[in-house]
Amino acid sequence: MSLLHFQVLSAALFAIGVYGVLARRSAVLILLSIELVLNAVNVNLVAFAAFLDPTRGLGQVIAVFVITVAAAEVGLALAIILQLYRKRASVDVDKIDLLKW
Amino acid sequence: MSVDFTLLLPEFLVAGLAFLVLTVDFFLPPHRRNGVTASVTAVGMVGLALFSALFLQGKSDSLYQGVFLVDSFSTFFKAFFLVLGAGVVLMSVEFVRKHLTHPGEFYALITLSVLAMMLMAAAGELLTAYISLELLSFTLYVLVSFAREDPRSNEAGTKYILLGAFSSGLLLYGISLVYGSLGTTHYLDIATRLFPSQMAPTTLAGLALIVAGLGFKMAAVPFHMWAPDIYEGAPTPVTAHLAVASKAAVFALVLRLFSQAFIPALDQWQIIVAILAAITMTVGNLVAITQHNIKRLLAYSSIAQVGYLLVGVAALSHAASNAIILHLAGYAFSNLAAFMVVIVYFNLTGKEEIKEFAGLGQRHPFAAMVMAAALFSLAGLPFFAGFITKFYLFTAAAQAGLLWLAGLAITNSLISLYYYLVVIRQMYIEKPEDAAPLRVPVLSMGVLALLVAGVFFVGVYPRPLVDVIQNASEVILPAVTALAAGR
Repeated sequence: MSLLHFQVLSAALFAIGVYGVLARRSAVLILLSIELVLNAVNVNLVAFAAFLDPTRGLGQVIAVFVITVAAAEVGLALAIILQLYRKRASVDVDKIDLLKW
Repeated sequence: MSVDFTLLLPEFLVAGLAFLVLTVDFFLPPHRRNGVTASVTAVGMVGLALFSALFLQGKSDSLYQGVFLVDSFSTFFKAFFLVLGAGVVLMSVEFVRKHLTHPGEFYALITLSVLAMMLMAAAGELLTAYISLELLSFTLYVLVSFAREDPRSNEAGTKYILLGAFSSGLLLYGISLVYGSLGTTHYLDIATRLFPSQMAPTTLAGLALIVAGLGFKMAAVPFHMWAPDIYEGAPTPVTAHLAVASKAAVFALVLRLFSQAFIPALDQWQIIVAILAAITMTVGNLVAITQHNIKRLLAYSSIAQVGYLLVGVAALSHAASNAIILHLAGYAFSNLAAFMVVIVYFNLTGKEEIKEFAGLGQRHPFAAMVMAAALFSLAGLPFFAGFITKFYLFTAAAQAGLLWLAGLAITNSLISLYYYLVVIRQMYIEKPEDAAPLRVPVLSMGVLALLVAGVFFVGVYPRPLVDVIQNASEVILPAVTALAAGR
């Protein structure tokens, strides 16, 4: 297992996440795709820390922060999406078009 | 190494103010909540602005090994953001009374967003910058969807958090690549390890993703699609906060990041930022012409303003950095004044279409005068703030050899005059449906007067402000001076 393996894994996760954000229509699935992007970041950070920066391990510290922020973000996003669902009975981003894109 | 924790006092006090507001709110009867919490917040923020300016004056230190920087740049922005926050609170009072519930939470969130902005200006390291940017974004997500019973606000909130979280993902991926290729996240260390001649593809990709992520946050074209929707759907005082303070905070972060970390690779990214600036102002201005809702118009106009500010970033030098900060100050007064008129008019009539502003000049001459002054200032006419700040900005660009960009920016200012004049024509020439004079509350009149005074102050007598700003931008740009000497 070399650093390259992890970088490819991370890049693949990132690409799948970006594709999901662009292609999915449900707000919840878009949120899940964003989580994939953030996890790609974590894979990257932990791998860089383990291979390039083993004494300080700064990357792992950043990864812990990213996980925390991501958890808070999901909580907030789900609350906002839930409120939208209560008003509209739908979380399809194509159907929320009071404000035109 | 001892750490002088008293230098963090302004941040702790602002956080304390937010909790104080929530606590005060808790003990009050419902009908008094709005007035009392708003006064506590506004007085607190003005007091803290004075306190920060006096307490931190002349101090310069770096805490936690360069993670948190105290210098004249961050001190200027701390006071600036606190003043803007107090302004937004005063602008909100009537609006919150009429259209929103839970005033305590509203003002506490504005206070927390100001705290995040202060941290953004002081961050000397990528992770800290990211965390403070997220704190700002989180508070803004909640504020945008604060009108819980209004489906437009829900929709704006959903779009904002999805696109905002996605852009944070891009930014973070960029940060992880920069960390991986350079082994550090400190701005000053990045600058010493960034060799422009032999830049790894990973570093380049990292820089590109960081620029894209920040582009989203500041609403630069092509990352601007969210802005008009969110500006239209959000409660109007929040829109003003988004358009002015949060944008200024992102530019404070960008200024420090680019001038302390990325400056050695100036030749690589200059052209990218210049192109970004060119399309941002052109698209912003052209699309603004077709708008019929005043909030969307101001959204596109603020996108165009981001373009002008990016002109300064592309021409990064001491003069350009001064010009950016000065333009931010002038833009803050002008745009807040314009939004204040929109808020006042919406509170009284519930209307926000441009054609519904017909006859405002007759119904309330002072409000119409403030709007006209604000719009002329945004367009950059002489005697208003926008003229002098744009003059500095475009001169700096021309000095840096970006003559074409300065020319394009001036052309764009002329285009923008057209759609600003459309609004002014509605106010002064068109006949109103209902010609009854409007009765504007005293507080709103006071805020309008203060804001318009600010517009003229920056436009006519900018000297004191320029001195402070020069002092502030000196500290972030030693690298530029060294670079110029090395050439």
